[in-house]
Amino acid sequence: MICCKECIDLLCDYFEGTLSPDTAASLEDHFKDCPPCVSFLETYRQTSDICRKTLSAVEIPEPVQIKLREFVKNHIQSP
Amino acid sequence: MPTQEEKEQDEILVREMKAGRMEAFDKIFELYQRKIYALSFNMTRNQMDAQDVTQEVLLTIYRKIDTFQGKSAFSSWVYRITLNATYMKLRTKKKEQYVSLDEGLPNFNHAGFQNEKVSDWSKSTDSLLFSNETKGVIEKAVALLPEKEKVVFMLRDVEGLSTEKVGDILDLTIPAVKSRLHRARLFLRKRLSNYFDEYKTRSSKK
Repeated sequence: MICCKECIDLLCDYFEGTLSPDTAASLEDHFKDCPPCVSFLETYRQTSDICRKTLSAVEIPEPVQIKLREFVKNHIQSP
Repeated sequence: MPTQEEKEQDEILVREMKAGRMEAFDKIFELYQRKIYALSFNMTRNQMDAQDVTQEVLLTIYRKIDTFQGKSAFSSWVYRITLNATYMKLRTKKKEQYVSLDEGLPNFNHAGFQNEKVSDWSKSTDSLLFSNETKGVIEKAVALLPEKEKVVFMLRDVEGLSTEKVGDILDLTIPAVKSRLHRARLFLRKRLSNYFDEYKTRSSKK
């Protein structure tokens, strides 16, 4: 059976779906017997999720949008 | 992630721009300005810097479009220019003290099994996961990541690009992308775990 350390090392590939079927199966076997690793897996996944939802929400503020349009007009469209 | 359709649209726009059609640049501006700004803002957390970078990148796209040979996707080229301009900005600032990423790993015993309790906060309510306080914790933790890990995390997890695409943009092998991504996620997970554990203690005392 693989240990927790190996299990955590494999998490990235596990989510990418790039583990061999055998390795994926032994990882899933480990999860069946190891609640701490299941918690680790869930929080590892959730970390990516909430960071994406938090940081991908960046929009260009209105004043910056105006500046950018002006910049393009002055420096690119009619330099 | 860019679809085949978006890639084809980019190729048409690049061809038109090279032929001197200004409308094509305007379209590229509309399509890319938010991506450029967001990536730069997330790397610098500074509105003025992100604005400067966006302007510079737009100008570079316009002036250097003839040097773009189409060996990789246009979007990869734009991301690369954006990162170069962003790095220039970061270089001029005082170096921040980065932390060691080793703290992202749990404690293992000699046989490689976990030694500590691992709390699962992944099912916490949305109101806590997406509160302003959590947002602040995330922003602070990401700011502590070393640049190499931060950029991979931004492109792969925040922008949602594929591992292959991130490798293409940063000129890294797939294993190198995955290893940096994994280190970044472990570090951020640890920071978030500390925060949620502390939050739980705080609310149980109330």
